[in-house]
Amino acid sequence: MNFLLPNSGNGRQRMLQLQLLALLPVSIAALVNTGYQYLVAVAQNNALSTDDFRSRLARGLGANHESLGLYDMLAAGFAHLVPILALALLVGGFWERIIAERRQTPMEPGFILVALLFTLLLPGAAAFGHVVFGMSFAMLVGRGIFGGDGKTFLSPALLGIAIVQVSFPGVADQHPLWSGLAGYAGSDAIAVYHRGGEAALSAIDIDLWSAFIGSTPGTMGTTSILAVLLGAALLLIERLIAWRLLIAQVIGLFVFATLFNLLGTGPGASAMPAYWHLLLGSFAFGAVFLACDPVASACTNPGRWIQGFTIALLVVLIRVANPTHPDAVIPALLLASILAPLIDHLVIAWNIRGRARRHV
Amino acid sequence: MSVSPGLETKYVSRAALLGPDYRGVNFELLCELGDEVKSGAAVMRDLRRPEIRFSAPVSGRISRIERGARRKLISLQIDVDDSLAVARFEPPASNDSVSIRNFMLESGAWSTLRTRPFGNIPDPDGKPTAVFVTALDAEPLAPNTRTIIDTYLQEFRAAVNALAGISDAPLYVCHAPDHALVFEDSSRIRCATFNGGYSASLPGVHINELCPIGLGGGEVWHIGYQDVIALGHLLLHGKPWLQRVISLGGNAVRNPRSLAVYPGSAIGELLAKEVNDGPSRILAGSSIYGRQLATGSAYLDAGQRQITVLGASAGDSIGTTASTNNAVIPSETLEKLILPGIFPVPLMRALQLGDAERARELGALELVEEDVMLLSRACVSHNDYAVLLRDVLDQLEGARR
Repeated sequence: MNFLLPNSGNGRQRMLQLQLLALLPVSIAALVNTGYQYLVAVAQNNALSTDDFRSRLARGLGANHESLGLYDMLAAGFAHLVPILALALLVGGFWERIIAERRQTPMEPGFILVALLFTLLLPGAAAFGHVVFGMSFAMLVGRGIFGGDGKTFLSPALLGIAIVQVSFPGVADQHPLWSGLAGYAGSDAIAVYHRGGEAALSAIDIDLWSAFIGSTPGTMGTTSILAVLLGAALLLIERLIAWRLLIAQVIGLFVFATLFNLLGTGPGASAMPAYWHLLLGSFAFGAVFLACDPVASACTNPGRWIQGFTIALLVVLIRVANPTHPDAVIPALLLASILAPLIDHLVIAWNIRGRARRHV
Repeated sequence: MSVSPGLETKYVSRAALLGPDYRGVNFELLCELGDEVKSGAAVMRDLRRPEIRFSAPVSGRISRIERGARRKLISLQIDVDDSLAVARFEPPASNDSVSIRNFMLESGAWSTLRTRPFGNIPDPDGKPTAVFVTALDAEPLAPNTRTIIDTYLQEFRAAVNALAGISDAPLYVCHAPDHALVFEDSSRIRCATFNGGYSASLPGVHINELCPIGLGGGEVWHIGYQDVIALGHLLLHGKPWLQRVISLGGNAVRNPRSLAVYPGSAIGELLAKEVNDGPSRILAGSSIYGRQLATGSAYLDAGQRQITVLGASAGDSIGTTASTNNAVIPSETLEKLILPGIFPVPLMRALQLGDAERARELGALELVEEDVMLLSRACVSHNDYAVLLRDVLDQLEGARR
């Protein structure tokens, strides 16, 4: 893969470049799908007021609300994604600059990755104030106080998105276009499944294929499993993320979801087959880009297996048991990430015991 | 003097014994500047353990005694003369532990043994849990171990049989799968096959597989195959083996090949007319595990089997990129670069913090510098783990004494 990034020098920079490159397919999918969702919503709902900033920007870029061409989707997606990303970068850069000045160290470019991840986890209609709030929290509490790149204890983007979700749980309901059932917590699709099962999904045109390529409503970057797979492939080939952690999450998801199917009582998420768990919501995105954050996950191989299964169990459990939080990926990842040092501690203690038992 | 068949010999005019090759030794000189010495004659001994002697690699006149900080010996340099005078040693009368140990101590062969943990010269009355003979070399462009051992098979066998007698511990001969070494005395001597990857010839890997070091305070000994042949030469012929086989490789070398040279040869002389013009880096060892040499005077160190010369653009070097943030970022790449059973990232963090106790628990006693070479190269933090590990090992050794 060296041909992709020739002369990229310093290992840390190269690592960041590869992580950003892995997010490229997801970002493109986010542009297209956000535009598509917007245009479909506008076409279906003529009474919708299209007087807000993003709609005006989309119109200004020449997005045609009548037809659904690729350019129209890209332009409409651009109008939603890019302002949020630009704002997130601005806020991230601002705090990074201040932190660097206070510490008298050079600025580290890691905030770009944080801003991109944070943006991709937001719905297209996220309020700008929330972006500033979440990004500031991510930069300061998630990153700055621990000392910057490589020293964090939780993924900063994950922390930022979690605080937004916790602080403004129902805010997206108020937006007519993103009549989100779940607010920032993301997956409308899972909430739909909760209420009506597969029939309700097909009523809003979600089938396995559309969920796989990502033309479903949801937070911007998380809908396309295909794009996530492309990014995951790059990260795995470059050996940046731990395959054990990734595989453990997927296996765990299938095991625990199937377990709940067998024990299941109601029509809600406990009856949801494992593949829907994987395809809907932000599990795939979170599993690859947030859970496998190399710094904030377990750093021993047995620990990675344990953490992966823990994440899967928590995701399925919260989805099944708590219908008000249909996506569940962010809190599950947060909990598992907090547990990672404890898991490592136990694994290492066990390793040391084995070493102490040797006869030399 | 016997010459390896098919090998070009290259003799230099100056050779040296290097102080840093023998960790923890305070040298007491047995000769003076300007003395004429025979090859194989003792020129230094250990102040703390005076039985341990160090013999001259070549015959000639002692031309320079280089000392560094706190008067630590850096090198004892000898100008080679043409007399080819050699010291003679009486082979041990019997094959018991005491007489073999005495013979090895007297002839200077004892100083080629190394302990693990720490990588020191073992105490003359030490008790190893196992002895390892490294009879393979899996590093890239290494000299052909098989040819060399087969050429000196008699010496090799005599020395292995003698080494099996220095303690009650088992002796493991670690060899490549296509190079079967049959030994008759199979109760004490055990053969083990290693293959797979450049690390297959590291003693740390063999020890980790066959007799892993725990926290109990024991030690194992190991010795390289050329030092075994040298011991065999002493045993069978009563005089030192005045050769080591090294390979010359790398993309800046005009004619890569194996050479028979004096032990401790001056590298500058060996490389004369061998290297392409232009900037280059000289590594002591292979391109994987090699240590970069500063330009200027340098000598083959004890047990060195390769010189690699790389053009300036090839590869990277450790510790060169200045960075204020030296955090260790875990990645899948790091997992296979260390001995199995050791978690690389927790160990790297402990080393970086200088937390000797934690590093000990995580397996630092199983390691010496060469075992963490790959981590230094792969880690984005630009830490030199070889230096950090040695600091930690020094602390642990100090606590043990």
